[in-house]
Amino acid sequence: MTHYAMVIDLNTCVGCNACMAACAMENQTPVWKNKWRTYVPEKEIGTNEMVRRRFFPHLCNHCDNPPCLTVCPTGATSKRADGIVMINPDYCMGCRACAMACPYDARYEVTYSDIREGKEFYGELQRTSSGMDKCSFCAHRVDKGMKPACVETCVGSARLFGDLDNPSDPVAQIVMSGAAQPLMAHFGTRPNVYYIEDMKRKG
Amino acid sequence: MDTMTYTTQSLWTWWIAMYLFFGGLGAATLSISFLTDMYCRPHPKLVMWGALSGVAMLGISSAVLFGHLLHHTAVIHVLNPLVLIQQPSAWIAWGTQFILWMMVWGTIYAFPYMRETPVFMNMPLVGAMLRSKIVVWLSDTCMKYRRIVGWFATINGIGTAVYTGLLLQSFPAVALWHNPGVPLLFTVSAFSTAFAYLLVIMNTFIRDEFDQDLRHRFELFDVILIAAELVILFSFFNYTLSGSESGYRSAQLLWHDMGWLIGFIGFGLLVPFLLELKGVIKGWSGRYPSVAAGLLVLMGGYMLRHYFMYAGTYSYPW
Repeated sequence: MTHYAMVIDLNTCVGCNACMAACAMENQTPVWKNKWRTYVPEKEIGTNEMVRRRFFPHLCNHCDNPPCLTVCPTGATSKRADGIVMINPDYCMGCRACAMACPYDARYEVTYSDIREGKEFYGELQRTSSGMDKCSFCAHRVDKGMKPACVETCVGSARLFGDLDNPSDPVAQIVMSGAAQPLMAHFGTRPNVYYIEDMKRKG
Repeated sequence: MDTMTYTTQSLWTWWIAMYLFFGGLGAATLSISFLTDMYCRPHPKLVMWGALSGVAMLGISSAVLFGHLLHHTAVIHVLNPLVLIQQPSAWIAWGTQFILWMMVWGTIYAFPYMRETPVFMNMPLVGAMLRSKIVVWLSDTCMKYRRIVGWFATINGIGTAVYTGLLLQSFPAVALWHNPGVPLLFTVSAFSTAFAYLLVIMNTFIRDEFDQDLRHRFELFDVILIAAELVILFSFFNYTLSGSESGYRSAQLLWHDMGWLIGFIGFGLLVPFLLELKGVIKGWSGRYPSVAAGLLVLMGGYMLRHYFMYAGTYSYPW
C-alpha cells in the first residue's frame, strides 16, 4: 500500500518562495489576499553576529488521524487510501471548523468574491464553488506519476516526496533513520510531513 | 523547531459566540419550561414563552451561523439526518440535528396551549395555521403523548447545550478548548442563563402570583448553577496556569482583561449570585433585583463565550 509523505530539509530551504509560486499557479490559490496552500514564513533567530534568518515551509500535513476530517460536518474532507487528505468543494459548506481544528494552520477560506476574482486572475478557474481549501499534495499530478508542484520546483531540493511504505524510497529511509521529525506529534495527529532540523548544524 | 509563535484566531469570532450563546440559551429554555410543565405543574404561559422564545433563539443562532457560511447551498448536506451515519464524529452535524429536531418537537409541544390561547387563534396567519387539519392532528396527538413529545424536545435541548461545549472541545491545538471542562462549563452556563431568562420573563411578562414558588425554585437552581460555574472557572484558572504554553497564554489573555474579570466574573456571575442568594434566603420586596440579576446573568453568558473564542491560543513552530 502506498503511503505518501513529504520531507522538508530546513538546512537547504533558502526562502526563494518558488514553491509558493509553483503551487499557486498549479492550484490557482487566492494569492491576491495572500492565501497559499504552502507558504514559507521567515524569522530572525539569534542576536548580534549569531543572528540568522530561518525559513520554515509549511503546508497540510496529511495527518493519519486528521482532526479536520473528524470535525467536518458534511463529509467534505476525506482521506484517500494513499494517505492524501482531500476536500470536496461541492460538499464543503465553509463552516471553517476544519481550519479551527488544524494545528498546522493549513486551511484557508475561498469566498464568493475569490471565485469571481480568480476567474479574472487565472483566466479559467478549475474551482467553481466557495468553501475551504488546502494542499492536496497535488493529487492530480501524483495520480499521473508526477511530483507535487512545490517539490518539482524547489531549487534547494529542500522538499522530498515519496512513499513511506516503500523501504527503498529516500523519503522512507530518511524518516526511518529518525533524521526527520513530524511537527507537534503530541496532538495525536500522526502527520505525514517531516522536517530535518537545522539548529543542530548551525550551533 | 523551537522558536514557537503563539497566536489567537480570527475565523470564529463574535458570531460563533452568538451562535453558542443563543443555541445554549434557547435549548435550555425549552428544556426547563417543558420539564416544569411535565413534572411541577401544567403551565401554559411558561411553555408558550419558553417554546416560542426558545425556537426564536435557536433560529437566531442558526441564522448567524448560516449567514457566515462560505457556501450556503452546501448546507443541505448537514440538514440530512443521514449525515450522522456518514460523519458521527462531527459535532456540528449532531448540533444541527439537535437544534432542528428540538425546534420541531418544541413547537409541537406548544401547539395544544397555543390553540387554547385567543391571542394566537386571532392572529391572521398563525390562527389559520393553528386551525389547519395537520396542526389539529399534531396537537391532539401531542396531548395524548404529552410526556413523550416533551422528552423528545428536552433530550434534543440537553444535547444542544452539551454540543456547544463539545464543538470547542474538538479542536486539539487549543488547550483552553480541548479539555473535558468546556462541555461542562457551557452546559452549566446554558442552564443558568435559561433560568435567568425565565425569571426575567416571569417577573415582567407573566407576573402570576401563583408562580411565587416556581420563581423561588428557579432562583435557587440559578444560584446553585452560578456557584458551580464559579467552581469550574476556578479549576480552569488552575488548569491553564501550567501544563501547556497554549493554556498559559490563554490564561494571560483572560485573567489580565478587565472585561473578563470585572465584566464577566464580577457583574456576570458574582453580583447576580449575591442578588439571587439574597432573594432565595430573605426574598425581595420588589421584582427589580431579580430582573436585574437575570439580565446580568444573560450578559455574562454571552461574555463567557465571547472571551473563550478570542482567548483560544494556537502554537506554531515557525
